[in-house]
Amino acid sequence: MKKTFIAILFLMILSCQTKTKSTQSYLRWVGDIQQNNAIDDSDFRVCKGDDNVLQYFNLSEGPVYKGEKSSILDLFKSQYKPFIDNKQNGYIRLRFIINCKGEAGRFRVLQSDYNYQEKTFDNRIVNQLLTITKNIEKWEILHRDDISVDYYMYLIFKIKEGQLIDILP
Amino acid sequence: MKKISIVFLFFSLSNIFAQPNCEAFKHYGDTLKYKACIKAMEISGHYQFSKEYQSILDRAIEIDSTFDYPYWAKSIAYLKSGDFITWKTLIDKAVALNPKTHLGYRGWCRYQFFRDYEGLIEDIEKLDSLVDYDIGYSQNGTYHLNIAKGLCYKAIGEKEKAIAIIEKQILLNEQENFVGVYDYLHLGVLYWETNQFEKAINTFKKQAESNQLAENSYYMALTYRELDNPTKYKSCLDKTKELYISRKRMFDPYSNPMDKIYLETIENEIKSSL
Repeated sequence: MKKTFIAILFLMILSCQTKTKSTQSYLRWVGDIQQNNAIDDSDFRVCKGDDNVLQYFNLSEGPVYKGEKSSILDLFKSQYKPFIDNKQNGYIRLRFIINCKGEAGRFRVLQSDYNYQEKTFDNRIVNQLLTITKNIEKWEILHRDDISVDYYMYLIFKIKEGQLIDILP
Repeated sequence: MKKISIVFLFFSLSNIFAQPNCEAFKHYGDTLKYKACIKAMEISGHYQFSKEYQSILDRAIEIDSTFDYPYWAKSIAYLKSGDFITWKTLIDKAVALNPKTHLGYRGWCRYQFFRDYEGLIEDIEKLDSLVDYDIGYSQNGTYHLNIAKGLCYKAIGEKEKAIAIIEKQILLNEQENFVGVYDYLHLGVLYWETNQFEKAINTFKKQAESNQLAENSYYMALTYRELDNPTKYKSCLDKTKELYISRKRMFDPYSNPMDKIYLETIENEIKSSL
């Protein structure tokens, strides 16, 4: 009985390992963001369904901002309050969806140091960037064949000693 | 202009050329890599962001984890989605397995997507030390990698070094009749920034002859202002706005190129010129 139990346990472990190795699960597209009611604004809606959200560069317009990139640079320059700390260095990416009405939602944060290794910035930096971005009321509406679309956009903030030194793309 | 179009056409098809030759692995008796390669080629027709594309490449890696191509191919969607952590993990594997093929690409992406100036310099200089042939162009075909390296030296404050690198590469590009679409513009801006105004004007004129852009006309205007030539300063500024509105300006589908200007910049300069 004991040997049978060990054998079954062994096979279960083997099965789990095999499953992990060969069936990495993906969503429809890399970078897709599913609605999470615990953190996402329940009023935000995509217009054409999750399966039709594009990437900003699919529309051949390049990265577009209402009032061009200079407006985004000016906005963060005027509203971001540096949190001076020599340990606060690296990249913070905010990825989100812009729907066909130019509204943004489903914000997700990714953070790394300058060697692209995951790290956690002080919340006073991340929360500021999130708040300023979420407060942008209107984003550029993009079209395909004259029909407005939903698309993924992201902002990458370069942080040096707590100061915002660049915004990409 | 025709040559520029040909260059863009070539690089827009560059993913096709980047595919490995599976038969070569078979020829040299590397059966495992051959099988992994055949599997990887099944991505044809699938969007690089899709789960089908990614899953096929996972299976190619399972067949031969020392095959660099699937890591590189998988990494692209992560790069374009801004997931720099996963991208870097994947592209580092590709570079470790085949540095001569992937160092130039990784370096370029570090600049294009993350303005990682030191990162590009490190990768391009490493590549240069490994090969005895021309290190080639950026993935999108816009720059010779040495021009990109020069731009990164400029960004970290080493402008004289940047000028030397870019001047040298432009000379080589001219010999090949293959000057990049923004090469003269960047060099002209560097001359302007280092108070070499006559050189700047001559270089902007070369840019205007091959590919006139709003940015070129804008920096030319600023240079004429420094040369105390208000007539040409104003006419260049007017031309700048005209070019910008007709979309003759710097463009990159993924990011905003160095030295790019915006309508707000032009209008502010026009206001201050009145």
